[in-house]
Amino acid sequence: MNRRQFLWSSGGLGGIALSHLMAQETGKLHHAPKAKRVVQLFMSGAASQCDLFDYKPLLDKKAGEPWDPGEKVELFQSKPGVVMNAPWGWQQFGQSGKHVSKLLPHLGSCVDDMAFVHSMLAKSNVHGPATFMQNTGFVLPGFPSMGAWISYALGSANENLPTLVVLPDPRGYPPNGPGNWSAGFLPAAHQATMIRAGTPNPIYDLFPPEKAKFITKESEKDSLRALEAMNREHLATHEGDSRLEARIASYEMAARLQLSAPEVLDISGESEATKKLYGLDNPLTEDMGRRCLTARRLLERGVRFVQVWSGADNGFPRRNWDSHENLEKDHGELGTGLDKPAAALIKDLKSRGLLEDTIVYWTTEFGRMPCSQGSKGRDHNPFGFTSWLAGGGVKGGTSYGTTDEWSYKAVENPVYCYEVHATLLHLLGIDHTRLTYRNNGIDRRLTDVHGRVIRELLA
Amino acid sequence: MLRTMSVFVRAVIVGCLPLVAFAADPVSYVRQIRPMLDARCLSCHSDDERNGGLSMEGYDHVMDAVAAGKPEDSRLFKVISGESPRMPKGSPKLSEEQVTNVRLWIEQGAKNDTGAGVAPAAKVAWWSSKPLAKPSMSGIDAFVRAKLTEKKLTPSRQADKRTLIRRATYDLTGLPPTPAEMDAFLADASLNAYEKLVDRLLASPRYGERWARHWLDVVHYGDSHGYDKDKPRANAWPYRDYVVRAFNQDKPYARFVEEQLAGDVLFPDDPDGVIATGFIAAGPWDFVGQQELREGTTDKNITRLLDRDDMVAQTMSTFVSQTVHCARCHNHKFDPIKQEDYYSVQAVFAGVDRADRPVDRDAKVAAARGALLAKKRAVMLKLQPLLDSVEDATSPEIERLTFRITDAKMLSTHIGEPKNEKEAAEKKRLLAQAAAETEIRKKLIDAIVGAAKYAEIDRLNAEAKALDTEMAALPKPEYVYAAASFFNRAGTFRPALEPRIVNVLNRGNVTSPMQEAMPGAIGVRFPVADATDEGARRVALAHWITAKDNALTWRSIVNRVWHYHFGAGIVDSPSDFGRMGSEPTHPEMLDWLAVWFRDEAGGSVKKLQKLIVMSETYQQTSVNRADGASVDAENRYLWRMNRGKLDAESLRDSMLQVAGKLDLTMGGPAARQFWFKDDHSPIYDYTKFDPDSPEAYRRSIYRFIVRSVPDPFMDRLDCPDPSALTPKRNNTLTAIQALALLNNPFVIRMAEHFAERLTGTPEAQIREAYRLAFGRVATADEVSRLTAFAAKNGMANTCRLLFNSNEFVFVD
Repeated sequence: MNRRQFLWSSGGLGGIALSHLMAQETGKLHHAPKAKRVVQLFMSGAASQCDLFDYKPLLDKKAGEPWDPGEKVELFQSKPGVVMNAPWGWQQFGQSGKHVSKLLPHLGSCVDDMAFVHSMLAKSNVHGPATFMQNTGFVLPGFPSMGAWISYALGSANENLPTLVVLPDPRGYPPNGPGNWSAGFLPAAHQATMIRAGTPNPIYDLFPPEKAKFITKESEKDSLRALEAMNREHLATHEGDSRLEARIASYEMAARLQLSAPEVLDISGESEATKKLYGLDNPLTEDMGRRCLTARRLLERGVRFVQVWSGADNGFPRRNWDSHENLEKDHGELGTGLDKPAAALIKDLKSRGLLEDTIVYWTTEFGRMPCSQGSKGRDHNPFGFTSWLAGGGVKGGTSYGTTDEWSYKAVENPVYCYEVHATLLHLLGIDHTRLTYRNNGIDRRLTDVHGRVIRELLA
Repeated sequence: MLRTMSVFVRAVIVGCLPLVAFAADPVSYVRQIRPMLDARCLSCHSDDERNGGLSMEGYDHVMDAVAAGKPEDSRLFKVISGESPRMPKGSPKLSEEQVTNVRLWIEQGAKNDTGAGVAPAAKVAWWSSKPLAKPSMSGIDAFVRAKLTEKKLTPSRQADKRTLIRRATYDLTGLPPTPAEMDAFLADASLNAYEKLVDRLLASPRYGERWARHWLDVVHYGDSHGYDKDKPRANAWPYRDYVVRAFNQDKPYARFVEEQLAGDVLFPDDPDGVIATGFIAAGPWDFVGQQELREGTTDKNITRLLDRDDMVAQTMSTFVSQTVHCARCHNHKFDPIKQEDYYSVQAVFAGVDRADRPVDRDAKVAAARGALLAKKRAVMLKLQPLLDSVEDATSPEIERLTFRITDAKMLSTHIGEPKNEKEAAEKKRLLAQAAAETEIRKKLIDAIVGAAKYAEIDRLNAEAKALDTEMAALPKPEYVYAAASFFNRAGTFRPALEPRIVNVLNRGNVTSPMQEAMPGAIGVRFPVADATDEGARRVALAHWITAKDNALTWRSIVNRVWHYHFGAGIVDSPSDFGRMGSEPTHPEMLDWLAVWFRDEAGGSVKKLQKLIVMSETYQQTSVNRADGASVDAENRYLWRMNRGKLDAESLRDSMLQVAGKLDLTMGGPAARQFWFKDDHSPIYDYTKFDPDSPEAYRRSIYRFIVRSVPDPFMDRLDCPDPSALTPKRNNTLTAIQALALLNNPFVIRMAEHFAERLTGTPEAQIREAYRLAFGRVATADEVSRLTAFAAKNGMANTCRLLFNSNEFVFVD
């Protein structure tokens, strides 16, 4: 491991954060990996399984009738309305003949690469805790995100770029804000770098502020040279402290990041066909398209984990998937915004040979009820929802677990995020029970004390 | 097979180690098997909690999993020796010795030697559960020297005066010494110059600001609630100011603990009594779960469980360094903490929530308000069930109307600001419909409730209102966000009025309550004279913690203080003294310090710190030495001082001071160093904040700490996640940090201000800059090089350089 890798991957503090670096130190992971990187698409606000991926003919058949699942139903806000079917209808796609909403025809065309988990459960019916759970495995704040854990386990594959990048929805932060991608108690090297794609200063403090006229290209060169000289002189009288040298190296790294980050964010060199594939020519898909395309560029340059958010906070007008009032309108807009760009990401990664060792992971914090809330909306459903995976080591064209005939409760093979996280880590060559960090006397894990690898999802 | 082989091979090779019982030695159930089962299996396999249908409690039950004479046919042996499901589940494997013992014991017939004259093996107590020992010597240096000698190490020489003043000033005040302070100390040739320096620093108001920041890390203090819709917590700051004050006043530690847990009950005449209970409310709070979920729902119960869980975790890890919160779902896997113990501590907090509480400076007013609040609480106790019955009044028609009203309101909210006439008309129609139907529904509800009940409600409401009027006539109170047993309802968030019932929960699940938990702590239950007296519960816990014989408490605090002075604790896991934590490097010194602090110093933290800072151990140089490093590279035994790196707050405050911009105003509402817009989900934007606004110049302890959106600049400098209990900060070096220090608008502006305050010739300016930033005289070479640099690139660039240098960031 050279000095630069050391900085990105371990936080650089001699010895302290190194225990986890078994992968790099010994040159091998817990087992042979199938994938090297992950892109997570997070639908904030709770995307509806029974309108998008979890097809239940009974909802069409009983639409408009009073809903009686045979037990008392406790909803987040409301009393159950009538059975409500998906507004867009369903279509079978691909060799696998998987039913996908007609709202998502482009994603439908990818089903043979996708593995669906229809039996997801959440431990909270409230956005904040449930969003934490999908991100960190805990319903409480203060824990490291999955991306931070992966950064901690794998380190960097490109010493000139951050290990973990988050592309939030430009309309605002999801519930819990950047707390969702916190490094928690892991060292700061595993903090996410937030990129606000398409804005003038997409990365905080990458360059001096415009207003600082006293800093010029020339002065910057002189400054960095003078700083290094000063620090070397200081080092000479303070021998035997690896931190001093690591800090000098961190400035070299910073300079490299200044060179490589603008290049990766500049999509002007992409072909027209590619831009079109991601929907950059249409205002409805342009934003998500730009961020998905940026994600691909980051992944191909070695970023380990990219998280792309669809949906902001729960405010009004609705800007996330929390469709309590009018599902057809809100899911309609967000679904259209997602469909083409997300499908483009899968197809583009595939055509570049990157899908083989990249996992695309789509999720949300919980699902929605098969009955209506009021006349046009749906309330929260933590008892059954859908996530899907595609790419490196994932068995395409499969569906794992089922909900009941209503898409209300997971009945066959119910799983929490623990199982999906364990499976993701497994694909990356990591045993989820052995990826630990001692904090406050507990060997913490992404999967807490739970989780098992879902073998059925593995190719 | 391979595994058993290797055990024997090792036993032969390392013959002298008594690790493995040889075939000839009979293995005793009482001495060897039973203790292992107790320690490693019982938390999941007891008579109460029969995971997999199996209990390991008692010989008869154990034999359900044992075929005497045949280990390979015994379930117990199979699962501990590698067969699936591998046991103990989710925790480290048994040692080879333990596995071998089980095999031999089964081979030898799995006999029960209980009562056969075999004495049970003396339980090996974990270090922290032993009483405080009476040590054989005294004084920090005596203990450290003894350990160094034992390890064949030698101490380092005393650091020079410049190093000492910079170290001590940062350590005790979080700021660098000014050139004037530096000059005065260097010029003071008296023998006790250093002691005078230490006394001056301990007496400085800056001291409390620095040490309060450490305490706020430990208790995960923040100025917003966290979670979704992260609302500002406008009245959190009085607790922060209390902590600053407590350190500056050198409040005896026992009093400090008691105030924070039960100051409102124990010291009702002291405003700090109420304010201190901000401790209990310091952590995050789930606004949506607390204020929007209906009473009685599963998720409401989960929200309350987790809210109290946070109080338990914080209290027990802060004061007694125990991870009691690990026992929410099962008995603690490693420490002797039962699940019942955990819920007992929950029961201590069963009557309080986190809310704004009035504080009256005048004791008479406080007493008057207290009496009125007690009366109002009594009224609410009668009123609440009546209000609930109105809320619960229902019929199919009422439900139908409720559904329609809610729908109409939701759809109108969803329209938001109408964009055209059609939307405006629709919105109007929806709201009119909702209003009309609400009227109809009210009549239906009224008919169910009945006039008599309404009359009673009206009467009680009038009583409550009269009390409110009386309270309004009192001088206006201040408010603190603290533990509160009574407050006005907001949304569905309402006070318990009387302590809520806390049950032990099977596997931590709110839908599987078991027996009721009585207030208590680890291994004790507090006598409950009056079940409705919630304050008495907190008092009992506070007294359990501050008891003279609670060794955990006294070890915990002296170790914390030591940790911040040396960069590593005597026990390097300051909030966990359990078996998963570290063991002390100097156990005797830890006990000596704990007793000295408790008895000699009367719990004075300042005295403890003076003792530490005056020690020769602390005054050593931090220079590395090959002879020391070859034996003890991590410097666990303190053969030199550890070199420190400035934490986020010290670094930021130093830049302010050096730039001449530091505003030393103490206390008050938190400084908002961001652009803020209150909304359904409030927006905190750091990029729109002007680093030259007055809020930017305050010391970092006073900044407004947002949980969901941390300040990216501070975040990168290892400032901890304010929702995580942080007994020890990470200390990292990254490229992103380098970029923050180079380019953050705050650093840029401070570099400019720093440059502006320098006067005289270019050479004089460089000399002055060195004195301000590094507290030393620049060498001739440095002066000439930087003068040339400044001539070409300007003084602001030069100052930016100094802020970014290793010399600025590290403290020898």
